[in-house]
Amino acid sequence: MAHIPDGILSAPVLIGGAVIAAGGVAMALRRLEDRMVPRAAILSAAFFAGSLIAVPVGPSSVHLLFTGLMGVMLGLMAFPAVLVALLLQTVLFGFGGLTTLGVNTVNIALPGVLLGLALGPAIRAASPGRAAMLAAVCGALSVAGTGALVALSLWLSSPVFVPVAKIMLITYLPLALGEAAVTAAAVGFLSRVQPAALRLVAT
Amino acid sequence: MTRLALSIVVSLLSIQPALAHKLKVFATIEGEAVTGYAFFIGGGRAQGAKWNAVEGDDTPLGEGRTDAEGRFILVPPQPVTADIRVTIDTEEGHIASATLPVTRFGGVAAEPSEAETPTVAKKEAAPASEETALLVEAAVQRQVEPLLERIEAMDSRLRYTDMMSGLFLIAGLAGMVLWALGRKDGGR
Repeated sequence: MAHIPDGILSAPVLIGGAVIAAGGVAMALRRLEDRMVPRAAILSAAFFAGSLIAVPVGPSSVHLLFTGLMGVMLGLMAFPAVLVALLLQTVLFGFGGLTTLGVNTVNIALPGVLLGLALGPAIRAASPGRAAMLAAVCGALSVAGTGALVALSLWLSSPVFVPVAKIMLITYLPLALGEAAVTAAAVGFLSRVQPAALRLVAT
Repeated sequence: MTRLALSIVVSLLSIQPALAHKLKVFATIEGEAVTGYAFFIGGGRAQGAKWNAVEGDDTPLGEGRTDAEGRFILVPPQPVTADIRVTIDTEEGHIASATLPVTRFGGVAAEPSEAETPTVAKKEAAPASEETALLVEAAVQRQVEPLLERIEAMDSRLRYTDMMSGLFLIAGLAGMVLWALGRKDGGR
């Protein structure tokens, strides 16, 4: 699903993905604060391990991405966090590929980062219950965004491999619901117990 | 907090190392047919997925959808003159293919006996030995197939040690970044 293997995407898509991913990582690292590092590492590890637990759904199999959560908790740091986990998955398990690392990073991290930027302030200001609801929207939409970006990268590369909307819906819908529940639970818990963990900048 | 950390550790430990997420195609030859199936490493078969087969670079041989067990079957026209590649596309971003090299089709069928300089004695003996060869090939194929399947599955198995090393590599990387940050501005 989100791990596109080598040898399928065309060169412009691969290069474009790599450039956007490199830009995202560079922007994140330039304003890196040490308090963000352990948080990024924990979420990176969660993404790394979460992708190993897959559930078969019809013609496909899906797994949690945690990207909505990453967008809210990490902001731009989601780029390096996803990149590191994807690199390890590629090297250790052969998921995805080295050439598609950039594209896969963008497909997975970008929707979460954008939604984190858009909904993050509202989530931080809201009461725990409302924050959980907003986080559910954030989680579900970031999965949908990843699905759309995967479809876009395949479509831009070769019309032969265009994903079919109906099948995308069957496989991504349960995933979006699961992701919404997990993101809501995590954000709701944090906003009740330790709201500082949701803030990107130390105050 | 300790309880949370503990439950995370416990749930991590209960992950079956076999559970994973990558599409693979297993393809083999049965008689004259090419059969096989698409599977997710440890996570079931790809049901109703689109498959297509090409001979060499671009001669299409056929296409269809996998059955409830993720299986496909096709009978390539004889003789097979180039590698056959079967590609399975689940139509939502998972694509994988398997290639059967032309040498595996070689067998006896593609060895035309008339190409050799035929002597009378050889011509008489040929049909019998050819039949035996076919029988032997079928028998060997039957015996070897489970092994091939097993090897394919083992090849792509997830290893617990790999998973743990991944997690600790992330922890180590975080430590290195923190150290570098601390060096740069004397800690904040």
